[in-house]
Amino acid sequence: MFLRIEKGSAVPISSQIAQQIAMLCASGRLKPGDRLPSVRELARELAVNQNTILRVYERLVHDGLLEMRHGQGTFVAAHAHSTGLAVHRNRLVEELRQWARQGLALGLGPEELHELMNEALQQLQSLATAEKEVS
Amino acid sequence: MGVPAIELQSVDKSFRKNRVLRGLTLQVETGRTFAFLGRNGAGKTTAIRMLLGLLNRDDGSIRVLGLDPQIDPIGVRSRVGYLAEDQTMYGWMRCEEILRFMAPFYPTWDHQLALQYARDFDVPLATKIKHLSKGQNVRLGLVLALAHRPELVILDDPALGLDPIMRKQFNRDLITHLQGEGRTLFYSSHLLYEVEPVADEVAILDQGRIVRQSETDALRRDVKQIVLHREAAAVLGETASVLHRRDEGQESAVVVEEAPGVIDGLRREGVEHRVVELNLDEIFEAYVTGNNQDQEPKTATTLRVAGDA
Repeated sequence: MFLRIEKGSAVPISSQIAQQIAMLCASGRLKPGDRLPSVRELARELAVNQNTILRVYERLVHDGLLEMRHGQGTFVAAHAHSTGLAVHRNRLVEELRQWARQGLALGLGPEELHELMNEALQQLQSLATAEKEVS
Repeated sequence: MGVPAIELQSVDKSFRKNRVLRGLTLQVETGRTFAFLGRNGAGKTTAIRMLLGLLNRDDGSIRVLGLDPQIDPIGVRSRVGYLAEDQTMYGWMRCEEILRFMAPFYPTWDHQLALQYARDFDVPLATKIKHLSKGQNVRLGLVLALAHRPELVILDDPALGLDPIMRKQFNRDLITHLQGEGRTLFYSSHLLYEVEPVADEVAILDQGRIVRQSETDALRRDVKQIVLHREAAAVLGETASVLHRRDEGQESAVVVEEAPGVIDGLRREGVEHRVVELNLDEIFEAYVTGNNQDQEPKTATTLRVAGDA
């Protein structure tokens, strides 16, 4: 499991870890039944307080992404994929809202914002096609 | 909760006319990792030296593991692991020699454990101390501070002068060997982004007193910047605890404590505003600027002392 902590970020470290684990569940890189590193192991690897890691695991258990099996460790829950997607969707909506706010502040109208979004999607699609042709 | 590991109550200290500590009050519970933050010259080292009984206070009370360090300095030092800022050790000794040299000073010294830590921390035992790098020097100091199995470990700016990779490794050592073993750790630092991942709790020292003591996470949730109309900011200043305010044109950027309540209030009253999340460095800055004489005077800065927070 690759996680990356950005120090000095305005996003608290516990949120950074929780978001990345949710992302891994949503994208399917963490699959239901996969075992997560122990609190100690992850704390050591990331050089982050053990209590912080424990709180993140507990929060994700509460959100339904992870489950703790007594004496065995922490595992990805059965419906983690869809739950992770839902968690992520909320974040995405929040980010889009900020993006829209910036656009409006710059004097762009709703239509121009939609146009920008379409443009970005088209660029991604043409990149994907180009990659397919190469391979 | 039992007896706190460290307790300072209204501690004052002056060096001639210079008042270094003014009514310093602080409590560290057993088992916590506690970071003591402040700018250079805020009084961190003075306070730490008092905890060890290396300096006497002018007024107030201090208890370390229930003992008064001024009355029983040896009792305190035998139960506390201490790493001084820029600790100097005999350069001509080999690391292995200084371990044997230190052992008789502590009744509870565990030499096997000392050798184990030296291996864990990659301290080259056969090398002379004067040939150690800065990072190795700090880690040797940590071995010496831990080998008598202290209940409480006090480190004075241990990350000073370490490069980023060494700092991460050092943080890892603290997490594995101190938090992992349930010991109380009290350490000072001025590098907030280094402290944030590690500390359970932080206290900000400014001009000789604590301006805020809080759980690290809670501090993040509690202190935020709000950008709003200048007039609305003036109204806000009358009810909210404002740490710092900057005006620009018709807008004001205000850093407030108890932000969730303040934001709820603004929302209820329909006041247009924008919330900016701050990192720990910015929060620290909000607490300690406005007190800084080198800077231009800031408007509408009020500071609240910890305890009512």
